[in-house]
Amino acid sequence: MEFSISKETFTKALQKIQGIVEKRNTMPILSNALLEASNGMLHVTATDLEVGMKSSYPVTVSKEGKITVSAKKIYEIIKELSDEEITFSTKENDWIEIHCGKAHFNIVGLSPEEFPYFPKVNDSIFVSISNNFLSEMIEKTAYAICNDETKFNLNGIFIKASSEGDKNVIRMVATDGHRLSVAEKDFEGTISSELSKGVIFPKKGIYELKKIAEEENGDIMLGFMDNSAVIKKDNTVIVMRLIDGEFPDYTKVIPANNDKKITISREALLHSLRRMAILSSEKFKGIKLDVQSGNIEISSSNPELGDAREEQEVVYDGTPISVRFNARYLIDVLTVLRDDQVELDLRDELSPIVMKPTAKEDFMSVIMPMRL
Amino acid sequence: MDGQQKENPFGGRIIMHVDMNAFFASVEQQRDPNLRGKPVAVVGSSKRTIVTTCSYEARAFGVKTGMALWEAKRCCPDLILVVGRNREYTHISSLIMQLMHDFTPLVETFSVDEAFLDISGSLTLFGTPENIAHQLKARIRERFGLTCSIGIAPNKLLAKLASDMQKPDGLTFIPLDQVAPVMDRTPIRDMCGIGKKTEKALTMLGIRTCGDLGRFPVKLLRQKFGIVGEALHRMGLGMDDSPVVPTDESDQVKSVGHSMTLEHDLEKREEILRYLLQLAEMVGRRMRRYGVTGKTVCLSVRYADFYTNFSRQLTLPRYTNLSADIYHGAVTLLDSVQLAQPVRLLGVKLSNLRHQDEQLSLFEGERKKAHLAKAMDEVNSRFGEFSVTFGTLLADDAKKGSFVISPAWRPEGIRKVDVE
Repeated sequence: MEFSISKETFTKALQKIQGIVEKRNTMPILSNALLEASNGMLHVTATDLEVGMKSSYPVTVSKEGKITVSAKKIYEIIKELSDEEITFSTKENDWIEIHCGKAHFNIVGLSPEEFPYFPKVNDSIFVSISNNFLSEMIEKTAYAICNDETKFNLNGIFIKASSEGDKNVIRMVATDGHRLSVAEKDFEGTISSELSKGVIFPKKGIYELKKIAEEENGDIMLGFMDNSAVIKKDNTVIVMRLIDGEFPDYTKVIPANNDKKITISREALLHSLRRMAILSSEKFKGIKLDVQSGNIEISSSNPELGDAREEQEVVYDGTPISVRFNARYLIDVLTVLRDDQVELDLRDELSPIVMKPTAKEDFMSVIMPMRL
Repeated sequence: MDGQQKENPFGGRIIMHVDMNAFFASVEQQRDPNLRGKPVAVVGSSKRTIVTTCSYEARAFGVKTGMALWEAKRCCPDLILVVGRNREYTHISSLIMQLMHDFTPLVETFSVDEAFLDISGSLTLFGTPENIAHQLKARIRERFGLTCSIGIAPNKLLAKLASDMQKPDGLTFIPLDQVAPVMDRTPIRDMCGIGKKTEKALTMLGIRTCGDLGRFPVKLLRQKFGIVGEALHRMGLGMDDSPVVPTDESDQVKSVGHSMTLEHDLEKREEILRYLLQLAEMVGRRMRRYGVTGKTVCLSVRYADFYTNFSRQLTLPRYTNLSADIYHGAVTLLDSVQLAQPVRLLGVKLSNLRHQDEQLSLFEGERKKAHLAKAMDEVNSRFGEFSVTFGTLLADDAKKGSFVISPAWRPEGIRKVDVE
């Protein structure tokens, strides 16, 4: 195989797959990228068997063929080459030759025969979703994904669509067992059977999806095949194996009777929490909220450091209530919201609270308190 | 004061080491007058136990701690064996430690029957160090009928050495000007911290007494023993600046574990599992009581030949103190090895500890687990350990719990293990 390519394109192509390749050295081939030259195109593929990505770029192909090479090494090399045309060719025994200006590299590759199969994608399976819409929903939920690998059914975002009344709604839900975030949006188009049942996208795939959603404007095509989700945008296809597990019935967790409703400025609460959280530590991580008519006191006490408190005005006229939280959980939510005012719905000190933008129904976070 | 301390290599401290004489055996002799003046050995309750302590009368026959029963009986055919009541000993130990607090707040429990007291600041109240020692000895004798040996010296190292010099019921004071002559008389093996191996290595260098050790060129010691050489040199000079650390302020506990020697060697997986569950519950129970969670489970196994043992550890996905999680970790570890022999001893330990997260769970299932553990703990606190327990543990009538007082036992805090 032999092709020539500009440094810029090659760098971009290789950079894109760096997040995909396997970092643990379980199967050496998985830390390699598959490079295929055919029909005037270079196809770059990487996979860790869970999430795979294939991107295609127009190049000058002088001899068709394919090879695999360490994704990390080749990226390091290409990045450092001069801004000239790069010639990439293969020799016997899977050796690779790279020429660029006065630089020459001979690199060991691995036979492409060993590279895992990347599914052929049928274009008819897709529905189209706006990229902004996806990236926003992911941003609002992804921080709540559970990192505990034994709770594998929580290691991703649950995505489900349904038609409610005369419109279709798509929801994304993530939880780590302590907090839960739900984002929803109206959407147009047909609901596939997978989406109506609900599917769990793995965390790694979600981050890749978010990356390409944020790259450039343009719709993202979403489809499903063989227990995998397929995502297509421009010249890139991502295939991710869906998490084979049952997402817990999150609707049961959403409290219905939280009648103590507080409205507060999002910015003010966020900054105040950040200040108070400075005093929390591994051992003393809770911050306390004392709410009474018209104001909230946020305080933090750490026997090893000292204590701090701050008052903020709130709209509230119910009975006083005190509750303690891991500050991180509140900060995570306030950080992803853009609204001026947020609403906190409480019931008592041991019940979950609901946090959401005031007078909006497209997002909600449910957070479990700590013991007082 | 500071300047004075710098000039004086021993500082201005007065440290006392209290060593209860044949503690367990003396407690038994107090309880039962028939045992007084007779050779008594306190032994464990299991079938294959060893001598944990013996009275001075038994020691005269050559009976020693750690002997197998047949061995002890061979030394002394009239030896009276008494099954130890560890709960009683820890209880009395706690009371004695409390008594010591009447003289100074700086009491460091060294083991169940030994403690260091820093009485430097107590002299204005109680007079001379000897006076304090006499008062303490009198109170312990009055209240418990027990004797102890007390060593008084400028530091912990020498105080421990001094208490060893006269037993039973001794009182030895090593004042500053006596340190050098005492060092010259003391064989190195008498020094706490010098074991058989070090003794042998030092003897090879021609060092027999602590005095020899102190005079030996520190450079050569460093070459031979590394940084330990430096410590040995200071030891030889009778120098030690380690403070008396009150038990409640001592450095954070790094692990919580329990182990037990089995009544008979086990081969069957299901039987081993039953003991693992019991140990996991003991560990979990103690962790929950003191509000800590841990992430690394360690399983230790000693084989029937008594000499080969191994331990394996694994890191759990999350911090926990639930018995079920600890148990599952231990079982995973057990299944990762092929047992070469029947098992004699099993141990389960949780380390990588941190303060318990009081974060409640969003999901009811998880919350139920926490509530269940809490409810079980409450019942067991009230009606005794294992009053409510797992069904599998009911399969045998064997007693459950801790039967051995570990060297790490302390009268308060998470190291306070309730023993049976």
